[in-house]
Amino acid sequence: MIEIRHLSRTYGGFTAVDDVSFRCEPGRVTGFLGPNGAGKTTTMRILVGLTPPSAGTATIGGHRYADLPNPGRHVGVLLDAGAQHVGRTGREILTLAARTMGLPSERVEEMLATVGLTDDEAKRRLRHYSLGMKQRLGIAYALLGDPQVLILDEPANGLDPAGIRWMRDLLRGYARRGGTVLLSSHLLHEVELVADEMVVIGRGRIVAQGDRATLMAQHSGVASIVSATDPTALQQALVAAGRTAVPAETPGSLRVDCSPVEIGRLALEHRLVLTELRDGAAGLEELFLELTADTQREGVLEGATA
Amino acid sequence: MSTDTRTPGHPADGAGYTLDVSAVPPVPLARLVEVEARKVVDTRAGFWFGLGVLGLVTLAVVLGGLFFEDTGQTYETLLSVAGGTLGYFLPVLVMLLVTSEWSQRTGLSTFTLEPRRSRIVVAKLIAGFAFSAVGVIYAVVLAAVGVLLSPVNGGGMDWSLGVAPVRSLVLSTVISVLVAFALAMLVRNSPAAIVGYFLYTLVLPGVAAVLGELISGLKSVIPWIEFNTAQGPLFADDMSPTGEQWAQLVVSGTIWLVIPFVLGLTRLLRAEVK
Repeated sequence: MIEIRHLSRTYGGFTAVDDVSFRCEPGRVTGFLGPNGAGKTTTMRILVGLTPPSAGTATIGGHRYADLPNPGRHVGVLLDAGAQHVGRTGREILTLAARTMGLPSERVEEMLATVGLTDDEAKRRLRHYSLGMKQRLGIAYALLGDPQVLILDEPANGLDPAGIRWMRDLLRGYARRGGTVLLSSHLLHEVELVADEMVVIGRGRIVAQGDRATLMAQHSGVASIVSATDPTALQQALVAAGRTAVPAETPGSLRVDCSPVEIGRLALEHRLVLTELRDGAAGLEELFLELTADTQREGVLEGATA
Repeated sequence: MSTDTRTPGHPADGAGYTLDVSAVPPVPLARLVEVEARKVVDTRAGFWFGLGVLGLVTLAVVLGGLFFEDTGQTYETLLSVAGGTLGYFLPVLVMLLVTSEWSQRTGLSTFTLEPRRSRIVVAKLIAGFAFSAVGVIYAVVLAAVGVLLSPVNGGGMDWSLGVAPVRSLVLSTVISVLVAFALAMLVRNSPAAIVGYFLYTLVLPGVAAVLGELISGLKSVIPWIEFNTAQGPLFADDMSPTGEQWAQLVVSGTIWLVIPFVLGLTRLLRAEVK
Protein backbone atom coordinates (compact mmCIF):
# COMPACT_ATOMS: atom_id res chain seq x y z
CA MET A 1 0.00 0.00 0.00
CA ILE A 2 2.87 2.30 0.86
CA GLU A 3 5.71 1.94 -1.58
CA ILE A 4 8.99 3.74 -1.11
CA ARG A 5 11.57 3.24 -3.84
CA HIS A 6 15.16 4.43 -3.86
CA LEU A 7 14.28 7.52 -1.90
CA SER A 8 17.06 9.99 -1.13
CA ARG A 9 17.16 13.44 0.36
CA THR A 10 20.28 15.52 0.73
CA TYR A 11 20.77 18.85 2.49
CA GLY A 12 23.88 20.40 1.04
CA GLY A 13 26.55 17.79 1.66
CA PHE A 14 24.50 15.92 4.27
CA THR A 15 22.47 12.90 3.21
CA ALA A 16 19.45 12.55 5.51
CA VAL A 17 17.83 9.72 3.56
CA ASP A 18 20.01 7.48 1.43
CA ASP A 19 18.45 5.19 -1.19
CA VAL A 20 15.65 3.97 1.05
CA SER A 21 13.22 1.36 -0.27
CA PHE A 22 10.51 -0.51 1.58
CA ARG A 23 6.80 -1.19 1.45
CA CYS A 24 3.96 -1.44 3.90
CA GLU A 25 1.25 -4.03 3.39
CA PRO A 26 -2.46 -3.65 4.15
CA GLY A 27 -3.54 -5.47 7.29
CA ARG A 28 -0.12 -5.11 8.82
CA VAL A 29 1.60 -2.72 11.15
CA THR A 30 5.03 -1.72 9.89
CA GLY A 31 7.41 -0.39 12.51
CA PHE A 32 9.95 2.13 11.27
CA LEU A 33 12.78 1.88 13.71
CA GLY A 34 15.99 3.77 14.15
CA PRO A 35 17.94 6.04 16.48
CA ASN A 36 17.20 9.76 16.61
CA GLY A 37 18.25 11.55 13.47
CA ALA A 38 18.39 8.36 11.39
CA GLY A 39 16.05 9.72 8.70
CA LYS A 40 12.66 8.37 9.85
CA THR A 41 10.90 11.71 10.00
CA THR A 42 12.40 12.98 6.75
CA THR A 43 11.24 9.80 4.99
CA MET A 44 7.71 10.25 6.35
CA ARG A 45 7.67 13.93 5.46
CA ILE A 46 8.64 13.11 1.89
CA LEU A 47 5.91 10.45 1.84
CA VAL A 48 3.22 13.06 2.56
CA GLY A 49 4.66 15.74 0.31
CA LEU A 50 5.92 18.20 2.93
CA THR A 51 9.52 17.74 1.84
CA PRO A 52 10.52 17.24 -1.77
CA PRO A 53 12.78 14.20 -2.36
CA SER A 54 16.17 14.58 -4.02
CA ALA A 55 15.66 11.25 -5.78
CA GLY A 56 13.31 8.30 -5.79
CA THR A 57 9.55 7.95 -5.38
CA ALA A 58 7.06 7.44 -2.61
CA THR A 59 3.52 6.36 -3.37
CA ILE A 60 0.47 5.43 -1.34
CA GLY A 61 -1.90 2.99 -3.00
CA GLY A 62 -0.26 3.77 -6.33
CA HIS A 63 -0.66 7.54 -5.99
CA ARG A 64 1.73 10.29 -5.08
CA TYR A 65 0.34 11.79 -1.89
CA ALA A 66 0.03 15.20 -3.53
CA ASP A 67 -2.19 13.68 -6.22
CA LEU A 68 -4.82 12.49 -3.74
CA PRO A 69 -7.87 14.73 -4.26
CA ASN A 70 -8.86 14.78 -0.58
CA PRO A 71 -5.91 13.10 1.14
CA GLY A 72 -7.33 13.27 4.65
CA ARG A 73 -10.03 10.80 3.62
CA HIS A 74 -7.49 8.18 2.60
CA VAL A 75 -4.38 8.74 4.67
CA GLY A 76 -4.26 9.69 8.33
CA VAL A 77 -1.09 11.57 9.19
CA LEU A 78 0.43 12.42 12.54
CA LEU A 79 3.90 13.87 12.26
CA ASP A 80 4.04 16.12 15.32
CA ALA A 81 1.16 16.30 17.79
CA GLY A 82 2.49 19.62 19.05
CA ALA A 83 2.31 21.30 15.64
CA GLN A 84 -1.05 22.93 16.25
CA HIS A 85 -2.03 26.44 17.27
CA VAL A 86 -1.68 26.56 21.05
CA GLY A 87 -4.59 29.00 21.28
CA ARG A 88 -7.10 26.60 19.71
CA THR A 89 -9.19 24.16 21.67
CA GLY A 90 -8.81 20.47 20.96
CA ARG A 91 -12.30 20.34 19.52
CA GLU A 92 -11.65 23.31 17.25
CA ILE A 93 -8.48 21.72 15.88
CA LEU A 94 -10.47 18.64 14.89
CA THR A 95 -13.34 20.76 13.59
CA LEU A 96 -11.07 22.66 11.19
CA ALA A 97 -9.83 19.36 9.77
CA ALA A 98 -13.34 17.91 9.58
CA ARG A 99 -14.59 21.00 7.73
CA THR A 100 -11.68 20.78 5.27
CA MET A 101 -12.38 17.11 4.57
CA GLY A 102 -16.12 17.70 4.36
CA LEU A 103 -17.07 15.62 7.41
CA PRO A 104 -19.99 16.28 9.76
CA SER A 105 -19.28 17.66 13.22
CA GLU A 106 -20.54 14.40 14.79
CA ARG A 107 -17.37 12.80 13.48
CA VAL A 108 -15.35 15.12 15.69
CA GLU A 109 -17.27 14.02 18.79
CA GLU A 110 -16.89 10.38 17.74
CA MET A 111 -13.13 10.69 17.50
CA LEU A 112 -12.83 12.58 20.78
CA ALA A 113 -14.62 9.66 22.41
CA THR A 114 -12.46 7.11 20.60
CA VAL A 115 -9.25 8.57 21.96
CA GLY A 116 -10.73 9.16 25.39
CA LEU A 117 -10.68 12.95 25.56
CA THR A 118 -13.49 14.20 27.76
CA ASP A 119 -15.79 17.06 26.86
CA ASP A 120 -14.01 19.22 29.40
CA GLU A 121 -10.60 18.41 27.90
CA ALA A 122 -11.86 19.05 24.37
CA LYS A 123 -12.84 22.57 25.44
CA ARG A 124 -9.36 23.33 26.74
CA ARG A 125 -6.82 25.11 24.60
CA LEU A 126 -3.83 23.14 23.36
CA ARG A 127 -1.52 25.29 25.48
CA HIS A 128 -2.97 23.50 28.53
CA TYR A 129 -2.62 19.98 27.12
CA SER A 130 -0.14 17.47 28.51
CA LEU A 131 2.08 15.64 26.04
CA GLY A 132 -0.12 12.55 26.38
CA MET A 133 -3.28 14.52 25.66
CA LYS A 134 -1.65 16.07 22.61
CA GLN A 135 -0.78 12.59 21.34
CA ARG A 136 -4.36 11.42 21.82
CA LEU A 137 -5.64 14.47 19.99
CA GLY A 138 -3.11 13.78 17.24
CA ILE A 139 -4.39 10.21 16.91
CA ALA A 140 -7.96 11.52 16.73
CA TYR A 141 -6.77 13.93 14.04
CA ALA A 142 -5.20 11.10 12.03
CA LEU A 143 -8.27 8.86 12.34
CA LEU A 144 -10.77 11.62 11.58
CA GLY A 145 -11.18 10.98 7.86
CA ASP A 146 -11.63 7.21 8.37
CA PRO A 147 -8.46 6.57 6.32
CA GLN A 148 -7.20 3.26 4.92
CA VAL A 149 -3.61 4.20 5.71
CA LEU A 150 -2.08 5.60 8.89
CA ILE A 151 1.32 7.32 9.00
CA LEU A 152 2.40 8.08 12.57
CA ASP A 153 5.72 9.57 13.65
CA GLU A 154 6.64 8.61 17.22
CA PRO A 155 2.98 8.31 18.28
CA ALA A 156 3.78 6.71 21.64
CA ASN A 157 6.03 9.60 22.62
CA GLY A 158 4.75 11.03 25.90
CA LEU A 159 2.15 8.35 26.54
CA ASP A 160 2.11 6.58 29.88
CA PRO A 161 2.28 2.75 29.95
CA ALA A 162 -1.51 2.48 29.88
CA GLY A 163 -1.58 4.90 26.97
CA ILE A 164 1.01 2.89 25.09
CA ARG A 165 -1.04 -0.27 25.56
CA TRP A 166 -4.17 1.57 24.40
CA MET A 167 -2.35 2.77 21.29
CA ARG A 168 -1.07 -0.75 20.61
CA ASP A 169 -4.56 -2.22 20.81
CA LEU A 170 -5.96 0.55 18.65
CA LEU A 171 -3.36 0.05 15.91
CA ARG A 172 -3.69 -3.74 16.05
CA GLY A 173 -7.46 -3.48 15.64
CA TYR A 174 -7.04 -1.00 12.84
CA ALA A 175 -4.66 -3.29 10.94
CA ARG A 176 -6.89 -6.34 11.58
CA ARG A 177 -9.70 -4.51 9.78
CA GLY A 178 -7.41 -4.20 6.75
CA GLY A 179 -5.75 -0.88 7.42
CA THR A 180 -2.12 -0.15 6.62
CA VAL A 181 -0.03 1.31 9.44
CA LEU A 182 3.43 2.83 9.27
CA LEU A 183 4.66 3.97 12.65
CA SER A 184 8.08 5.16 13.62
CA SER A 185 9.89 4.96 16.91
CA HIS A 186 13.37 5.14 18.29
CA LEU A 187 12.36 2.74 21.06
CA LEU A 188 12.35 -0.93 20.16
CA HIS A 189 10.02 -2.06 22.92
CA GLU A 190 7.31 0.34 21.73
CA VAL A 191 7.38 -1.21 18.30
CA GLU A 192 8.19 -4.89 18.74
CA LEU A 193 4.91 -5.76 20.44
CA VAL A 194 2.71 -4.19 17.82
CA ALA A 195 4.64 -4.33 14.56
CA ASP A 196 4.24 -7.25 12.15
CA GLU A 197 7.06 -5.95 10.01
CA MET A 198 10.06 -3.92 10.98
CA VAL A 199 12.19 -1.61 8.91
CA VAL A 200 15.38 -0.59 10.67
CA ILE A 201 17.09 2.57 9.52
CA GLY A 202 20.43 4.00 10.59
CA ARG A 203 22.16 7.09 9.27
CA GLY A 204 19.73 7.39 6.38
CA ARG A 205 20.10 3.80 5.15
CA ILE A 206 17.92 0.76 5.67
CA VAL A 207 20.01 -1.73 7.63
CA ALA A 208 17.44 -4.51 8.02
CA GLN A 209 13.82 -5.29 7.29
CA GLY A 210 11.37 -8.12 7.69
CA ASP A 211 9.23 -9.67 10.38
CA ARG A 212 10.69 -10.55 13.74
CA ALA A 213 11.63 -14.12 12.82
CA THR A 214 13.26 -13.08 9.56
CA LEU A 215 15.27 -10.37 11.26
CA MET A 216 16.52 -12.75 13.92
CA ALA A 217 17.33 -15.51 11.44
CA GLN A 218 19.17 -13.19 9.07
CA HIS A 219 21.12 -11.12 11.48
CA SER A 220 21.88 -13.06 14.60
CA GLY A 221 23.86 -16.28 14.50
CA VAL A 222 23.10 -19.51 16.35
CA ALA A 223 24.52 -19.62 19.87
CA SER A 224 24.03 -21.42 23.16
CA ILE A 225 24.88 -20.75 26.77
CA VAL A 226 26.07 -23.84 28.62
CA SER A 227 27.69 -24.83 31.91
CA ALA A 228 28.59 -28.19 33.38
CA THR A 229 29.78 -29.74 36.67
CA ASP A 230 33.13 -30.31 34.96
CA PRO A 231 33.87 -27.16 32.96
CA THR A 232 37.28 -28.33 31.76
CA ALA A 233 35.90 -31.54 30.28
CA LEU A 234 33.08 -29.59 28.64
CA GLN A 235 35.53 -27.15 27.11
CA GLN A 236 37.72 -29.98 25.79
CA ALA A 237 34.75 -31.81 24.30
CA LEU A 238 33.54 -28.65 22.55
CA VAL A 239 36.97 -27.83 21.14
CA ALA A 240 37.38 -31.42 19.99
CA ALA A 241 34.07 -31.08 18.14
CA GLY A 242 35.43 -27.99 16.39
CA ARG A 243 33.35 -25.44 18.29
CA THR A 244 34.43 -22.12 19.72
CA ALA A 245 33.65 -21.71 23.39
CA VAL A 246 34.15 -18.37 25.13
CA PRO A 247 33.22 -17.34 28.67
CA ALA A 248 29.66 -16.04 28.81
CA GLU A 249 28.45 -13.04 30.85
CA THR A 250 27.46 -15.29 33.77
CA PRO A 251 30.59 -16.66 35.48
CA GLY A 252 31.24 -20.35 34.86
CA SER A 253 29.09 -20.42 31.71
CA LEU A 254 30.33 -20.73 28.18
CA ARG A 255 28.96 -19.14 25.02
CA VAL A 256 29.18 -21.59 22.15
CA ASP A 257 28.53 -21.07 18.44
CA CYS A 258 26.09 -23.92 17.91
CA SER A 259 22.53 -24.89 18.80
CA PRO A 260 21.57 -26.30 22.25
CA VAL A 261 20.60 -29.62 20.59
CA GLU A 262 24.11 -30.15 19.34
CA ILE A 263 25.58 -29.49 22.78
CA GLY A 264 23.07 -31.84 24.36
CA ARG A 265 24.21 -34.64 22.04
CA LEU A 266 27.83 -33.84 22.74
CA ALA A 267 27.22 -33.96 26.49
CA LEU A 268 25.52 -37.35 26.18
CA GLU A 269 28.40 -38.71 24.14
CA HIS A 270 30.97 -37.54 26.69
CA ARG A 271 28.76 -38.37 29.71
CA LEU A 272 28.88 -34.80 31.01
CA VAL A 273 26.43 -33.39 33.57
CA LEU A 274 25.08 -30.06 32.35
CA THR A 275 23.85 -27.53 34.87
CA GLU A 276 22.61 -25.05 32.29
CA LEU A 277 21.78 -25.16 28.61
CA ARG A 278 19.86 -22.49 26.77
CA ASP A 279 19.56 -20.51 23.55
CA GLY A 280 22.20 -17.81 23.56
CA ALA A 281 21.18 -15.96 20.41
CA ALA A 282 21.08 -12.20 20.77
CA GLY A 283 17.69 -10.68 21.55
CA LEU A 284 15.97 -8.23 19.28
CA GLU A 285 17.28 -5.41 21.38
CA GLU A 286 20.91 -6.43 21.03
CA LEU A 287 20.25 -6.94 17.35
CA PHE A 288 18.79 -3.44 17.04
CA LEU A 289 21.73 -1.89 18.85
CA GLU A 290 24.16 -3.89 16.80
CA LEU A 291 22.50 -3.02 13.50
CA THR A 292 22.49 0.66 14.25
CA ALA A 293 25.68 0.68 16.31
CA ASP A 294 27.79 2.60 13.86
CA THR A 295 25.02 5.15 13.52
CA GLN A 296 24.52 5.84 17.22
CA ARG A 297 26.16 8.87 18.77
CA GLU A 298 27.83 6.61 21.29
CA GLY A 299 29.14 4.50 18.42
CA VAL A 300 30.46 7.53 16.61
CA LEU A 301 32.48 8.42 19.68
CA GLU A 302 34.05 5.00 19.87
CA GLY A 303 34.81 5.10 16.18
CA ALA A 304 36.59 8.42 16.56
CA THR A 305 39.22 6.94 18.84
CA ALA A 306 39.94 4.03 16.53
CA MET B 1 -2.87 6.99 -14.56
CA SER B 2 -2.31 4.06 -12.28
CA THR B 3 0.74 2.15 -13.37
CA ASP B 4 1.35 -1.00 -11.40
CA THR B 5 4.44 -0.47 -9.33
CA ARG B 6 4.31 -3.81 -7.53
CA THR B 7 6.98 -6.36 -8.14
CA PRO B 8 5.68 -9.39 -10.03
CA GLY B 9 4.79 -12.46 -8.05
CA HIS B 10 3.98 -10.54 -4.91
CA PRO B 11 2.09 -12.90 -2.57
CA ALA B 12 -0.88 -10.65 -1.86
CA ASP B 13 -1.09 -9.34 -5.40
CA GLY B 14 -4.46 -7.81 -6.12
CA ALA B 15 -7.04 -5.79 -4.28
CA GLY B 16 -6.02 -3.70 -1.32
CA TYR B 17 -2.81 -2.41 -2.83
CA THR B 18 -4.22 0.52 -4.72
CA LEU B 19 -6.34 3.27 -3.27
CA ASP B 20 -9.55 3.94 -5.13
CA VAL B 21 -9.86 7.68 -4.88
CA SER B 22 -12.61 8.12 -7.46
CA ALA B 23 -15.42 8.16 -4.88
CA VAL B 24 -14.06 11.11 -2.92
CA PRO B 25 -14.24 14.50 -4.66
CA PRO B 26 -11.47 17.07 -4.17
CA VAL B 27 -11.81 19.68 -1.43
CA PRO B 28 -13.80 22.55 -2.96
CA LEU B 29 -12.18 25.99 -2.79
CA ALA B 30 -15.20 27.45 -0.96
CA ARG B 31 -14.60 25.04 1.90
CA LEU B 32 -10.93 26.00 2.09
CA VAL B 33 -11.91 29.68 2.19
CA GLU B 34 -14.41 28.99 4.97
CA VAL B 35 -11.78 27.12 7.01
CA GLU B 36 -9.18 29.86 6.48
CA ALA B 37 -11.67 32.52 7.54
CA ARG B 38 -12.55 30.48 10.60
CA LYS B 39 -8.89 30.26 11.58
CA VAL B 40 -8.73 34.06 11.84
CA VAL B 41 -11.19 34.20 14.72
CA ASP B 42 -11.07 30.77 16.38
CA THR B 43 -8.18 31.52 18.71
CA ARG B 44 -8.51 33.79 21.71
CA ALA B 45 -5.79 36.07 20.31
CA GLY B 46 -7.42 36.25 16.89
CA PHE B 47 -10.88 36.85 18.28
CA TRP B 48 -9.83 39.70 20.55
CA PHE B 49 -7.60 41.20 17.91
CA GLY B 50 -10.55 41.40 15.50
CA LEU B 51 -12.88 42.73 18.15
CA GLY B 52 -10.22 45.19 19.33
CA VAL B 53 -9.80 46.60 15.84
CA LEU B 54 -13.55 47.10 15.43
CA GLY B 55 -13.69 48.70 18.87
CA LEU B 56 -10.85 51.08 18.07
CA VAL B 57 -12.43 52.13 14.77
CA THR B 58 -15.74 52.69 16.55
CA LEU B 59 -14.09 54.74 19.26
CA ALA B 60 -12.25 56.92 16.73
CA VAL B 61 -15.39 57.69 14.73
CA VAL B 62 -17.65 58.24 17.74
CA LEU B 63 -15.11 60.64 19.26
CA GLY B 64 -14.90 62.40 15.90
CA GLY B 65 -18.68 62.67 15.63
CA LEU B 66 -18.94 64.08 19.13
CA PHE B 67 -15.95 66.36 19.47
CA PHE B 68 -14.41 67.26 16.07
CA GLU B 69 -14.74 70.83 14.79
CA ASP B 70 -17.78 71.27 12.57
CA THR B 71 -15.63 71.20 9.46
CA GLY B 72 -14.21 67.84 10.50
CA GLN B 73 -17.57 66.22 11.00
CA THR B 74 -18.42 65.64 7.37
CA TYR B 75 -19.18 62.10 6.30
CA GLU B 76 -16.06 62.23 4.18
CA THR B 77 -13.73 63.04 7.07
CA LEU B 78 -15.25 60.51 9.40
CA LEU B 79 -14.99 57.84 6.71
CA SER B 80 -11.30 58.62 6.29
CA VAL B 81 -10.82 58.39 10.07
CA ALA B 82 -12.46 54.94 10.11
CA GLY B 83 -10.60 53.83 7.01
CA GLY B 84 -7.29 55.11 8.32
CA THR B 85 -7.60 53.19 11.57
CA LEU B 86 -8.59 50.02 9.73
CA GLY B 87 -5.69 50.54 7.36
CA TYR B 88 -3.23 49.89 10.18
CA PHE B 89 -4.76 46.67 11.38
CA LEU B 90 -6.34 44.86 8.42
CA PRO B 91 -2.92 44.12 6.89
CA VAL B 92 -1.76 42.65 10.20
CA LEU B 93 -4.77 40.35 10.31
CA VAL B 94 -4.06 39.24 6.75
CA MET B 95 -0.37 38.65 7.49
CA LEU B 96 -1.13 36.50 10.53
CA LEU B 97 -3.32 34.34 8.30
CA VAL B 98 -0.16 33.36 6.41
CA THR B 99 2.60 33.54 9.02
CA SER B 100 0.79 31.61 11.77
CA GLU B 101 1.03 28.48 9.61
CA TRP B 102 4.77 28.67 10.24
CA SER B 103 4.99 30.43 13.58
CA GLN B 104 2.44 28.04 15.11
CA ARG B 105 3.50 25.15 12.85
CA THR B 106 -0.09 24.49 11.77
CA GLY B 107 1.20 24.31 8.20
CA LEU B 108 2.03 20.68 8.86
CA SER B 109 -1.69 19.93 9.06
CA THR B 110 -2.89 22.50 6.57
CA PHE B 111 -0.60 21.33 3.80
CA THR B 112 -1.15 17.63 4.40
CA LEU B 113 -4.93 18.05 4.19
CA GLU B 114 -4.49 20.07 0.99
CA PRO B 115 -1.12 19.35 -0.60
CA ARG B 116 -1.86 21.68 -3.52
CA ARG B 117 -0.45 24.65 -1.67
CA SER B 118 -1.46 27.19 -4.30
CA ARG B 119 -5.11 26.47 -3.41
CA ILE B 120 -4.41 27.31 0.23
CA VAL B 121 -2.76 30.55 -0.88
CA VAL B 122 -5.80 31.47 -2.99
CA ALA B 123 -8.15 30.55 -0.12
CA LYS B 124 -6.16 32.71 2.30
CA LEU B 125 -6.14 35.64 -0.10
CA ILE B 126 -9.91 35.37 -0.60
CA ALA B 127 -10.47 35.09 3.16
CA GLY B 128 -8.20 38.10 3.72
CA PHE B 129 -10.16 40.17 1.21
CA ALA B 130 -13.46 39.01 2.72
CA PHE B 131 -12.40 40.31 6.14
CA SER B 132 -11.20 43.52 4.52
CA ALA B 133 -14.58 43.94 2.80
CA VAL B 134 -16.34 43.49 6.12
CA GLY B 135 -14.03 46.14 7.60
CA VAL B 136 -14.68 48.61 4.77
CA ILE B 137 -18.45 48.10 4.95
CA TYR B 138 -18.30 48.60 8.71
CA ALA B 139 -16.35 51.84 8.16
CA VAL B 140 -18.96 53.09 5.67
CA VAL B 141 -21.82 52.41 8.11
CA LEU B 142 -19.91 53.73 11.11
CA ALA B 143 -19.06 57.04 9.41
CA ALA B 144 -22.82 57.58 8.98
CA VAL B 145 -23.33 56.99 12.71
CA GLY B 146 -20.61 59.58 13.36
CA VAL B 147 -22.48 62.12 11.23
CA LEU B 148 -25.70 61.38 13.15
CA LEU B 149 -23.80 62.14 16.37
CA SER B 150 -22.35 65.41 15.07
CA PRO B 151 -25.30 67.69 16.20
CA VAL B 152 -24.28 66.97 19.80
CA ASN B 153 -21.58 69.64 19.63
CA GLY B 154 -23.42 71.78 17.11
CA GLY B 155 -22.48 70.08 13.85
CA GLY B 156 -24.82 70.32 10.88
CA MET B 157 -24.94 66.69 9.72
CA ASP B 158 -22.90 67.07 6.57
CA TRP B 159 -23.62 64.04 4.38
CA SER B 160 -21.72 65.24 1.36
CA LEU B 161 -19.75 62.44 -0.23
CA GLY B 162 -17.91 62.16 -3.46
CA VAL B 163 -16.76 59.06 -5.26
CA ALA B 164 -13.13 59.82 -4.45
CA PRO B 165 -13.03 59.00 -0.70
CA VAL B 166 -14.74 55.64 -1.15
CA ARG B 167 -12.55 54.82 -4.11
CA SER B 168 -9.46 55.77 -2.12
CA LEU B 169 -10.53 53.65 0.82
CA VAL B 170 -11.13 50.58 -1.32
CA LEU B 171 -8.00 51.08 -3.39
CA SER B 172 -5.69 51.67 -0.42
CA THR B 173 -7.16 48.63 1.35
CA VAL B 174 -6.59 46.39 -1.65
CA ILE B 175 -3.01 47.58 -2.13
CA SER B 176 -2.08 47.34 1.56
CA VAL B 177 -3.59 43.86 1.87
CA LEU B 178 -1.64 42.68 -1.17
CA VAL B 179 1.64 44.17 0.05
CA ALA B 180 1.10 42.64 3.51
CA PHE B 181 0.25 39.26 2.01
CA ALA B 182 3.39 39.32 -0.15
CA LEU B 183 5.57 40.24 2.81
CA ALA B 184 3.98 37.51 4.94
CA MET B 185 4.68 34.87 2.30
CA LEU B 186 8.23 36.11 1.99
CA VAL B 187 9.24 36.07 5.67
CA ARG B 188 6.74 33.46 7.04
CA ASN B 189 7.27 34.66 10.60
CA SER B 190 4.66 36.69 12.52
CA PRO B 191 6.77 39.22 14.44
CA ALA B 192 9.12 39.82 11.51
CA ALA B 193 6.21 40.37 9.13
CA ILE B 194 4.46 42.86 11.42
CA VAL B 195 7.60 44.85 12.16
CA GLY B 196 8.55 44.80 8.50
CA TYR B 197 5.13 46.01 7.43
CA PHE B 198 5.11 48.96 9.84
CA LEU B 199 8.64 49.91 8.85
CA TYR B 200 7.45 49.93 5.26
CA THR B 201 4.25 51.95 5.81
CA LEU B 202 5.15 54.22 8.71
CA VAL B 203 8.90 54.73 8.73
CA LEU B 204 9.97 54.38 5.10
CA PRO B 205 7.91 57.27 3.59
CA GLY B 206 9.13 59.70 6.27
CA VAL B 207 12.75 58.65 5.92
CA ALA B 208 12.46 58.89 2.14
CA ALA B 209 11.00 62.39 2.39
CA VAL B 210 13.75 63.61 4.72
CA LEU B 211 16.48 62.07 2.59
CA GLY B 212 14.86 63.66 -0.46
CA GLU B 213 15.20 67.07 1.15
CA LEU B 214 18.78 66.50 2.24
CA ILE B 215 20.28 64.89 -0.80
CA SER B 216 20.02 66.87 -3.98
CA GLY B 217 18.70 64.90 -6.91
CA LEU B 218 17.16 62.20 -4.75
CA LYS B 219 13.77 63.86 -4.43
CA SER B 220 12.84 63.20 -8.03
CA VAL B 221 13.97 59.60 -7.74
CA ILE B 222 11.93 58.74 -4.62
CA PRO B 223 8.52 58.29 -6.32
CA TRP B 224 10.16 55.76 -8.59
CA ILE B 225 11.47 53.60 -5.78
CA GLU B 226 9.16 54.28 -2.83
CA PHE B 227 5.69 52.73 -3.27
CA ASN B 228 3.88 54.75 -0.58
CA THR B 229 5.03 58.03 -2.10
CA ALA B 230 4.15 56.89 -5.59
CA GLN B 231 0.59 56.05 -4.48
CA GLY B 232 -0.10 59.68 -3.50
CA PRO B 233 -1.62 60.72 -6.84
CA LEU B 234 -3.95 57.69 -6.75
CA PHE B 235 -5.73 59.09 -3.73
CA ALA B 236 -6.08 62.65 -5.04
CA ASP B 237 -9.69 63.76 -5.54
CA ASP B 238 -9.53 63.69 -9.31
CA MET B 239 -7.42 60.55 -9.40
CA SER B 240 -5.68 61.44 -12.58
CA PRO B 241 -2.03 60.57 -12.27
CA THR B 242 0.06 61.81 -15.12
CA GLY B 243 1.77 59.41 -17.47
CA GLU B 244 4.95 59.79 -15.48
CA GLN B 245 3.13 59.12 -12.19
CA TRP B 246 1.61 55.95 -13.63
CA ALA B 247 5.09 54.88 -14.65
CA GLN B 248 6.33 55.59 -11.13
CA LEU B 249 3.47 53.48 -9.72
CA VAL B 250 4.38 50.61 -11.99
CA VAL B 251 8.10 50.77 -11.18
CA SER B 252 7.78 51.18 -7.40
CA GLY B 253 4.87 48.72 -7.34
CA THR B 254 7.05 46.17 -9.05
CA ILE B 255 9.74 46.67 -6.43
CA TRP B 256 7.51 46.59 -3.36
CA LEU B 257 4.58 44.41 -4.45
CA VAL B 258 5.13 42.32 -7.57
CA ILE B 259 8.65 41.07 -6.85
CA PRO B 260 8.01 40.24 -3.16
CA PHE B 261 4.73 38.55 -4.09
CA VAL B 262 6.27 36.35 -6.79
CA LEU B 263 9.32 35.53 -4.65
CA GLY B 264 7.21 34.84 -1.58
CA LEU B 265 4.78 32.67 -3.50
CA THR B 266 7.58 30.67 -5.10
CA ARG B 267 9.21 30.07 -1.74
CA LEU B 268 5.94 29.13 -0.08
CA LEU B 269 5.04 26.64 -2.79
CA ARG B 270 8.44 24.94 -2.66
CA ALA B 271 9.64 25.37 0.88
CA GLU B 272 9.80 22.48 3.28
CA VAL B 273 6.98 22.73 5.81
CA LYS B 274 8.60 22.20 9.18
